[in-house]
Amino acid sequence: MKTAARIRISDTDFQKFRDYFYRKTGIHFDDNKRYFVDKRLVDRIEAGGHEDFRSWFIALRFDARGDELQQLVNAMTVNETYFFRENYQFDCMVNDMLAEVVKHKKRGERIRIWSVPSSTGEEPYTIAIYLLERWPLIEQYDVEILSSDIDTAVLDQAQRAVYSPRSVGQMPRELVDKYFRRLPTGEHALSRDLVAAVEFSRVNLADPADTRRFRDIDIIFCRNLLIYFDDLSRRVAAEAMFDALSPGGFVCLGHSESMSRISNLFTVRRFPDAMVYQKPLSGGQS
Amino acid sequence: MGLRKAAAEPLREVVEREHARDLPGLVAALKSGDAEQRRWAARDLAAHPQAAPTLGAQLLAERDGSVREALFTSLATHASDEAANALLPLLRSEDAGLRNGAIEALAGMPAAAGPRITALLRDADPDVRIFTVNLLGELKHEQVTRWLAGVLEHDPAVNVVAAAIEVLAEVGGAAQLPALDTAARRFADDPFVGFAAQVAADRIRAA
Repeated sequence: MKTAARIRISDTDFQKFRDYFYRKTGIHFDDNKRYFVDKRLVDRIEAGGHEDFRSWFIALRFDARGDELQQLVNAMTVNETYFFRENYQFDCMVNDMLAEVVKHKKRGERIRIWSVPSSTGEEPYTIAIYLLERWPLIEQYDVEILSSDIDTAVLDQAQRAVYSPRSVGQMPRELVDKYFRRLPTGEHALSRDLVAAVEFSRVNLADPADTRRFRDIDIIFCRNLLIYFDDLSRRVAAEAMFDALSPGGFVCLGHSESMSRISNLFTVRRFPDAMVYQKPLSGGQS
Repeated sequence: MGLRKAAAEPLREVVEREHARDLPGLVAALKSGDAEQRRWAARDLAAHPQAAPTLGAQLLAERDGSVREALFTSLATHASDEAANALLPLLRSEDAGLRNGAIEALAGMPAAAGPRITALLRDADPDVRIFTVNLLGELKHEQVTRWLAGVLEHDPAVNVVAAAIEVLAEVGGAAQLPALDTAARRFADDPFVGFAAQVAADRIRAA
């Protein structure tokens, strides 16, 4: 039997994998990601019982159901996050963005917030907790929280909603006590009411066929995802977000990401808590 | 009121379709009076490489910035010979937005743009040659520095040569130092060329 140390990913193998994976997902790996990629490729080759990259790659390409591609996506996407991460943007949501959103809505109307990638659920659930705890108008509007990821394994975990102490470490203690149940394992199980409040779905943001049905969104959180995309896929993703948003809707990116370097579609809005991007209202007014 | 799950009202397309989402329907939708319909058609045509000439023609007529971005992105997605052919005429446009969009899209398709560079650098219009030099600054192609050196050695227009020096200062290496000397000699009457060539050479030597 082959061992991980004996299966070697050659430069040509890496190029083949990189081109194929990019075409399928829009995610691009630079040469400096070789260690990360090679290790996961070897894991997948071994998991499928293949002797080498070539045999596995042929099986991958002729897998009509796409199961191995999905497993590969799950292995290659990074899903480290935690509750209340970079919470200045959630402060901005409850302090400023929502106030602008409701200017264009009647009391009782729907507000839609989309968190992508969902990863294991910490972000969409943080949004839900922020709305319940920090937004005084929550009882006056219907708020839908949608959350999507390309990785089906993390979507399953998100709906299981059981978290390590580290995941909830940045949350105020009283909110952990309020929304989580401590399990004998030391983990924290989120209230099922909150789990039920988020609609999860599998979406590739770089695939227009996946994003077409997302419309009338008021706020998108898309943090630390575009850094994995190449220039073209970033533009495709930016256009998907533009079309998903209502006029005047907002996009929040990760702190190291800039929409201005990707697309001219959005205007920059500087609020006291955060800088975000906005789809212009009709007539080009923000 | 409060948090509500979307499942009660599933996500759906909210825009009524006037045309089918096949190639003829999408091409027809590109002529819609509604910018949102045109933008969606432009995005969906990314899946139809044979639509490249139509996308290029629409770019010449399109006034809405968001539709233009979608047209450029779809052509960049095609990254085909036809897409490059659709973009090249835009280098002659008076509209800087169209020119820059074309340069950006062409820069992302080195396999299709590369074979056209030599002809573009021989274009009779010096502005087209300058925009081609700008494209070389963004193009990931192994011949870039060689093409730029050729401009320094042969192009008769000082502005084209100055643009090439500027790009070489960023992407050039020791192999292009002789071409920088040549440019300075060819335009010895123009102190700016000599100065720019010296700055570029210093920068290359310091790298």
